[in-house]
Amino acid sequence: MTPSFSTIASRRFGYGMRPGEDAPDDVDDMMAQLPKAMKSAPRFPREGITGRRETAGRLLSVRAVEAKAALDGRPNVALRKETQKEADRIFERDALGRITQAVYSPYGFYERLATFWMDHFAVNARKVYETHMIVPLFEAEAIRPNLAGPFSKLLKAAILHPAMLIYLDQERVEATANEPEAPGAPALNETLGRDLLDLHTMGADAGYSVEDLRGVSFILAGLSVDNRSLEIAYRPRGRTNGMALFGRTYTGGSDDHQRMLEDLAVRPETARFICRKLVSHFISDDPPAEVVEPMLAAWTESNGDLTRVYRAMLDQPRAWSGEMSKVIPPFDFVVTGLRAFELKPGEFQALAKAMESGVGEEAMPMTGKGVMRDKPGVARALTIEALKRMGQPVWQPPSPAGFSDRTDAWLSPGQISERIGWARMAARALGRDVEPEEFVEAALGDGARDVTRELVLAAPTKVHALTLALASPEFNRR
Amino acid sequence: MSFTRITRRGFLSASAASVMLWPLASRGQSATGGESRLVVILLRGGLDGLQLVQPYGEAGWSGLRAGLALTPETGLLDLDGFYGLDPSAASLLPLYRAGELGFVHATAGPYRNRADHFSAQNMLESGSGEGRLQRTGWLNRALALIPRSAGRRAIDVNASMELILSGATTTDSWTTQADTSLAPDEVDMLARLYSEDDGFSRTLAAAMPAAGSGNHSAIFDPQRRAAGIADMARLTGGLLRENYRIASFSIGGWDSHRDQKQLFARASADLSRAFLALKEGLGEEAWRNTSVLAVTEFGRALRLNDHGGTEHGTGSLAIIAGGAVAGGSVMGEWPGLSHDALLDGQDLAPTTDVREIAAAMLYQQFDISIGNIVSKVFPGLDFDGNSIYLRG
Repeated sequence: MTPSFSTIASRRFGYGMRPGEDAPDDVDDMMAQLPKAMKSAPRFPREGITGRRETAGRLLSVRAVEAKAALDGRPNVALRKETQKEADRIFERDALGRITQAVYSPYGFYERLATFWMDHFAVNARKVYETHMIVPLFEAEAIRPNLAGPFSKLLKAAILHPAMLIYLDQERVEATANEPEAPGAPALNETLGRDLLDLHTMGADAGYSVEDLRGVSFILAGLSVDNRSLEIAYRPRGRTNGMALFGRTYTGGSDDHQRMLEDLAVRPETARFICRKLVSHFISDDPPAEVVEPMLAAWTESNGDLTRVYRAMLDQPRAWSGEMSKVIPPFDFVVTGLRAFELKPGEFQALAKAMESGVGEEAMPMTGKGVMRDKPGVARALTIEALKRMGQPVWQPPSPAGFSDRTDAWLSPGQISERIGWARMAARALGRDVEPEEFVEAALGDGARDVTRELVLAAPTKVHALTLALASPEFNRR
Repeated sequence: MSFTRITRRGFLSASAASVMLWPLASRGQSATGGESRLVVILLRGGLDGLQLVQPYGEAGWSGLRAGLALTPETGLLDLDGFYGLDPSAASLLPLYRAGELGFVHATAGPYRNRADHFSAQNMLESGSGEGRLQRTGWLNRALALIPRSAGRRAIDVNASMELILSGATTTDSWTTQADTSLAPDEVDMLARLYSEDDGFSRTLAAAMPAAGSGNHSAIFDPQRRAAGIADMARLTGGLLRENYRIASFSIGGWDSHRDQKQLFARASADLSRAFLALKEGLGEEAWRNTSVLAVTEFGRALRLNDHGGTEHGTGSLAIIAGGAVAGGSVMGEWPGLSHDALLDGQDLAPTTDVREIAAAMLYQQFDISIGNIVSKVFPGLDFDGNSIYLRG
C-alpha cells in the first residue's frame, strides 16, 4: 500500500513527521517552505553571521601573533591550546545546532535541500583551525540563502567562500603579492579545478581535456584567502591572450573567475549532472529518466533556476511512488528519530548548556528524572557521538565528494547494529511517557507496515517496542 | 475469561495448606536503624515459572510439557522432593541450600488478560488493581511512607523509564552501558520485523554472532549481555552497600514464544548471575539486611505452541533472596495442573498476589504501617499485618 502524500512528503522529502507539526498536503505546501525558510536564521553559527566573522577574526589574529612570536623563538603553547579549545567548543556547539535545526525546523524539504547542497559542496570542518569556525558560516551564508535561486549564484557563493578554498587547499597568500605566472607553468594546483569540474558542475563523466582542466585551474589559481580577515581576493595570474575554455574566451580580466563559474553553471552537462544527483538523492539510486528529463527542461527554460527544477521533480508521479528503495543516512535517522519523540525545545538547549559547561559523561548517579537536562552524557551519545559512530559526523565528510547517499553505503551489519543500539538508548532516555501505539503513528504514520504494528504491540518491553519502530525497514527507508 | 481474584481467604487457606508461607525472617531479627535494603527486579517479558521451578512431582508432569519438562533423572535439580530447579539456574542452588534464596510459586500480579506486556507491566509496577490504574510506581509511593529518612534513598538502575520508581518522591537514577545487548526474545522479534525486507534481513543475519566472524556488534553478543547484566547487579549491590537502601532494575529476555529451551536457558543463566553479582556487590554485611524480590508481569501457558515456545499465561513465580528472607523452600499454595485446576484450562492458576509479598517486605523491613500499605502503596490490597506468619 502506498503511503499518503503527506507521509512521503515528510519522509522522502523531509526529516520525517513530528507530533504537532503539519505535514505538507501538496507540492505547493512544500515549495512554499523555501522562501519562508530562507527568511529565518539557522541555529548556527551561534553568534550569527557577522558575529562569527568577528569571532574568527579575533581568534585568527591572536594565533597569527603567537605564530609570529613562535618563529622568533617565543612560542606560547598555552595560548595555542586555549584558542584551539575555543574553536573546538564553538564547532561542537554549532554541530549540535545543526542537528537541532533539522529537528525543530518546520521546513523539512528546505532542510533536506540544505543537507543535499552541503554534501554537493562538501567541506570538512576538521580540516584546519579556521574551518572549525567557518564551515558553519559557509552553510549559513553561502548555501542556505542561495539554494532556491539560480544555480550560478549558489555555485559562486559556494566556490568563492573561504571555507571551500581552504578546504580544497587553494593557495593561501600572506599579504604579499604573487608574481604573475604564465599559463602552463608547472606546479599549478589542480585540486580545486578538478573538484569544480568533477564534483560541483559538469560531473566526472562529462569529459574534458587536460587543457580545459589546466585553464580552469589557471583562472582559479588567482584566488586567495587572507589568512586573518578571511577575505577572498582574485588576482589574475597573468594575461592569457584569449584563453578558450569550453568554447568561451577569457582574457585575464579581474572577473574571469566569476565569468567562468557562470559559464560552467549553465552548461548542459552541469544541468544533467545536478538533476540526476537530486533524483538519486531523494528518490532512487538509479534516477529514472521520467523524473530527470522534465527537470532538465525546467533547468534549460529557466537558466538553472533551482526552484523551478525542484518543482519539476516534485511534479512527477514517479516522485510519489510507494517504492522505498533508499536507506536514509545516519543524520536523517537520528534527526527523524528525535523528531518522533516530540522533544521539548528546552531539552536541547539544556543539553547544549550542559555540554558547554563540561559536565560531560556521567560519573555519579543523577538526581531526578529529567532526561536531557540531567544526562548530558546520554544526550551527547544520542546526537554528536551517535553520528560519529554511524559514520556521518556533522560537517565532516570523508572527501570533497561528500557523504554517500547510496543505499549500499548505509545498509551494513555495523550500521544496523548502531541504529538498533541508538534506538534502545533513545527509547530508554526519551520514551518514558510514550505509548508504543502512539509512537508508531508519530514515527511512521500510514507508512507503518502491519507486521511492524503487530510486533510493536507484542514487544516484551516498552523499550523494545520503541526500538522495533525505529529499527523497522520502513523507518530506515524512504 | 474468568478472573480469579485472590481473596484474603484464599491466601489464608493457602498459608494453612503449606508448611511455610512467610518469606521473610521474623520481624524481630530484621535490621533497624535504616540498614534494611530492598531490591526489586522486574523480569520483563513473562517468566515461565513452570520451567524455572518445575513441579516434577505433579502427576503426569513429563507428558504435560513434552520437550520442556524435566525430572531429576533428566537433569532437573531437586529442591524438595516435589519441585526441581531448571539446570540453567544451577548456580542458584548454593544460595537456596543456604536459605538465602527461595521461591513463591503460582504468583501473579493483578493482570489477567495474557494479551499485552505493557498493560501487565504497568499494573505490576504501579501496583494497581484491575480498573484503577495508578500513574506512579508502588515503590515510589512506598518511599514517602518510610518513617526513617535514611531508609528512603532509592535508585533506579539503568532505566530512566521504569514506572515502579516514578512518582512524587525524587529518586536517583544510574544509567550504565550494561544492558546494551539484546535479549534473545528481542533478537527474535527483529528477525521477524525484517523478514519481508531482503536487504535488512540479510544485513541482520550478517550482524549476528552466528555469522561466525567474531566481528559482530556488541548488541548481538550474548556474552556481553551476560556480563552487562552481572555488572549492573554488582553495581546495584555496591550502591546499596553505601548510601542507597532501595533499588530497582529490569532483566528481560523471558518472552519465549519460540524455541523456549534455548531462550529460557540464556535468560535464566543471566538472572542467576545477577543474583550472585548482587550479593557480591553488597558484601556479607549488607547482604544480611537485604531482601530481593524478583517478579514478572505474567507466566506462560502450560502447553507448548508449534514453535517450541509458549504463549502468554497467568500464574508464574516470584523469587526472593537475601539474608533477610527465609529462603530454602518453595512456598505458595500449589494449585495443581489438572485441567480443572488450570486457569481457563490453559495456565497455572495464581494463588498468591505478588503485591502481598512486596507489602510484607515493606511492612517488615521499612516499618511502613499496614494502613499506609493498603491505602497508599497497594490501594485495595487485602493485607493483614497482624496475621501470625508476619509476626514470626
